Amino acid sequence: MTFLEKQTDPTSPMHWRGDMQADYLYPNGWAGDRFFKNLRDKGTFLATRCPKCSKVLFPARLYCEDCFVEIPENNWIEVPTSGIVRLYTFAKLDAHWEPLEKPRCMALIDIEGTDGSILGVLDVEETDEDLTGLPVEALLRPVKEREGTMKDIVCFKPSV
Amino acid sequence: MKDVAVIGAGMTVFRRRMLETGKELSFLATKMAMEEAGIEKKDIDMVVMGSAPDAFDGIHMKGENLSDGAAGTGKPYVRVFNGGGTGVFAPIAGWWHVASGAADIALVVCEEKMGSCYPHPQTAFRHIWDPILDRPLNPNLVWLFAMEMNRYMSVYNIKKEDIARVAVKNKRNAVGHPCAQIPDEKITIEDVLNSEVMAWPVQRLDISPPSDGASALIFCSADKVRQFTDDPVFVSGVGWNIDSTMWTNRDLYFPQYVANAAKMAYKMAHINNPRKEIDFAEPYDPFDYKELHHMEGLLLCKKGEAPILTREGVTERDGDMPMCPSGGLMGVGNPIAATMGQKVCELYWQLAGKAGKRQIPGDPRIGVGQAWGDIMQMGTVIVMRRG
Repeated sequence: MTFLEKQTDPTSPMHWRGDMQADYLYPNGWAGDRFFKNLRDKGTFLATRCPKCSKVLFPARLYCEDCFVEIPENNWIEVPTSGIVRLYTFAKLDAHWEPLEKPRCMALIDIEGTDGSILGVLDVEETDEDLTGLPVEALLRPVKEREGTMKDIVCFKPSV
Repeated sequence: MKDVAVIGAGMTVFRRRMLETGKELSFLATKMAMEEAGIEKKDIDMVVMGSAPDAFDGIHMKGENLSDGAAGTGKPYVRVFNGGGTGVFAPIAGWWHVASGAADIALVVCEEKMGSCYPHPQTAFRHIWDPILDRPLNPNLVWLFAMEMNRYMSVYNIKKEDIARVAVKNKRNAVGHPCAQIPDEKITIEDVLNSEVMAWPVQRLDISPPSDGASALIFCSADKVRQFTDDPVFVSGVGWNIDSTMWTNRDLYFPQYVANAAKMAYKMAHINNPRKEIDFAEPYDPFDYKELHHMEGLLLCKKGEAPILTREGVTERDGDMPMCPSGGLMGVGNPIAATMGQKVCELYWQLAGKAGKRQIPGDPRIGVGQAWGDIMQMGTVIVMRRG
């Protein structure tokens, strides 16, 4: 039994090298299609208002998950591309656990006029100051470079 | 154990690649089932999600991702999956939520979005094999089906045209299904026999298509069902069973795992002679020969007899023992777990007299649905009856 032996070299047992190939196309979804086309073409944010509980869902959604009702056509509304910081961290490592050149502030932004929020990069230097509640504004890619994905939102900048 | 009834079902259209997210598909199917049952989210005690490998949708832990579209937020919620067996296993899990007394009303939602796996969901199937013994040979799943089909044909001396009849029957049955992906009123046996050979004897039209879609089903305890309907449909038996992962060491001509699951379900349903007592069935038909294979596994005929009964018209919608009156996977489509729509929702719609153009003539009282999954391993079976 190798069970109790200390293994220091993972390649020492006889093995073959495999991989799990997996490539995807992720459609934006029924509501997402409209949200991201609007972001790309008009540079604004869309939300949907639940006809039952009146919550403003952001980003725009097909249904209210609490009331479980479909959002009618006339409940789509344009909302500001600004909000306030609710949660944040200064990340030192990237998704592959490699050190970042400089700390990146990742934040959840409560979008103004809605009951929803969104994950974004906050364009600030690392600080000990509490950034909770900081008013911010979305910076979008130039219109010609937008593709209708989350990457069209470059970052959120503190409002002037 | 409590008796369990069905009070509503829903199903989205099935298509190759849909704009809707998995959550949105789940919502649409769930909403239909809730509207049919006449209930709201607050009435649902517990939710079961059925969805096959994460690799299709491309979201690890996709059960959790789908939960808000499946009315799961704020409720006891669990995802179950056993590959292709999921479409019948998820409702089995829904059944035990209610039968145990843990829930009065349980919602089951099944979802699959195979179109996200690009360019073809076949790439996801490449990773279900044993990594040491099978994968170094880079197998394609169709090869395995071809070997099994060939073995089935050679044991009973079955002709290809007798298998192609199943594809024709199911694609024609699907013409009456509002969700169907590839119904075909005019398809002929020759069309199937002339289609491209994938791996002999499997040809293009022997196979169901990959699909996106969702389906939903609502279970209610028998002591509460009269507030929803005067003519309920009950679950009378469930069974599930797995055979060895060492598929190489088994004779694939007969699905023993399906027979084991069927015996478990029939015992619970007090069915002693399935051939006489069961009025119709929805055997799992991702390939045309699989319907025949599974008919035999479900003990609905003798071994090797399914192609003969099919040739004689017994399994047509107006035959003595209709098989796949929904149009099955061959005609309606194959979003793996979401085929609960054909295999279990269809039993409910047929028994409740709600199957519309697909309604079996006469007075069907008992139906059986079945799914199969993994490397020729998993059998899942459910029996339903009119109250």
